[in-house]
Amino acid sequence: MAKPLVIQFHGKEFPFTLTKIDRTKLYGYKEAEVLDEDDRRCELATLADDGKTVVGRGGIGLGYISADGEWCDKSKLKPVNIEGEEITPVASSFAAPVVLDETTTFDEYLSHSIRLVYSLSSEENASEFTSVLKDGTIYKFPYSFRGGLEADAAFVLMGEDENIYMAVGKPTQVEFIGLQQVAAFFDEEGKADETDLMDFDMV
Amino acid sequence: MGEIKICNSAGRDAVVTTESVYSPLKVRWVDEQGRQASNVRVLKGPIDRDVAALQEQFGDLSKVAQALIDDDPEIDTESTGRILRETSRVYVDEKQEIVHKVQFWEVVRNPDGSERERRTRKMLDPNLAGELPLRWSGVFVKREEACRKFVFSGKVQLHHINGLTYDFLYGMAKELEENDSLVLLGAGAKSNQPLILRRGSTPYRGFLEGRTDGEKYCLILHFSNLELKTPEITDEEAKS
Repeated sequence: MAKPLVIQFHGKEFPFTLTKIDRTKLYGYKEAEVLDEDDRRCELATLADDGKTVVGRGGIGLGYISADGEWCDKSKLKPVNIEGEEITPVASSFAAPVVLDETTTFDEYLSHSIRLVYSLSSEENASEFTSVLKDGTIYKFPYSFRGGLEADAAFVLMGEDENIYMAVGKPTQVEFIGLQQVAAFFDEEGKADETDLMDFDMV
Repeated sequence: MGEIKICNSAGRDAVVTTESVYSPLKVRWVDEQGRQASNVRVLKGPIDRDVAALQEQFGDLSKVAQALIDDDPEIDTESTGRILRETSRVYVDEKQEIVHKVQFWEVVRNPDGSERERRTRKMLDPNLAGELPLRWSGVFVKREEACRKFVFSGKVQLHHINGLTYDFLYGMAKELEENDSLVLLGAGAKSNQPLILRRGSTPYRGFLEGRTDGEKYCLILHFSNLELKTPEITDEEAKS
């Protein structure tokens, strides 16, 4: 059985089982089928840039190269943020109880792109917790499934069907814009040269 | 940056731009000198050296395993380890040869895996900036209800391109904010079609949300293809 996510709320601990919600379980799904002229099934593959090497599933790996184009051993690389500061890895959210003490607004929630949703269920009586969620409160905490470099933002909220859900996502860069902030719609071509402006050969 | 043709609540339409709100990658990997390393795709082995090809050559998997120990037949010294840059997608047949003429089908399955429909693939055209503008469907969902009912997996922000479209978009944002609601946008002649961002891509329902701050506005088009609800448990799942 999968390890539960233990939520600590008002000093009490509630173990929750996570069930992933996805489209296939709600609405069904589509499978792509590619056939040749004789109705035989074909598989997707990759053609390398030499135009003759065909690579099948699992035939491509990922590696790192330095600025000089030299092969890098990943164990010798370190992760840094945009400012160049070393990133401290985050632990898995399943390693210790998650303290839920930060609430958030609907605007804040709507400013995130959600990539995963789980339904939370507990065999223990969590009525104290659910009654707060029923009022429309959304709790937020940093979440990482396995642990890693960055935590996602997780939101715990109650759905319209009165089930508890955890939505996992990333913040987006929505911003308020004023009249002067015109989209760079006409800038793509660059500033017209004066000789272009005086070009009368414009039939 | 993309384009969108959109109506306001009065049915007046305009072409404005959409801006990605995606947060860029925050993690970089650096070497001992602090220089950034970059990701590359590396060829592990061509298709004629993969497990299926080796099984055909050596027989069952135990014989393949022995061959791997003895001779490294999975390594092609000419290509293994090569960095892949410009690649193409191709289809191969059972003999692992490239097929040049293929037919695309899609099999639609129910949540339990049973087949619902089998049809030739439909490539839906994008409809955000087509001939017909996206219209307000008349379906308003309160902000709280929207959060508790739908999963918004993506979004873009709408930007004006001149003074006129600033007034146009600011007005929409203000109206939606005063309603404390998101409006469902519809595509097509009857304004009931989902939104298609790119040719053949996943259809989404689009919800427009507006916020204002003084003379500034924020108009967000949220994309959703999932409701926040728990699937019904089948008898088989309940037994297990």
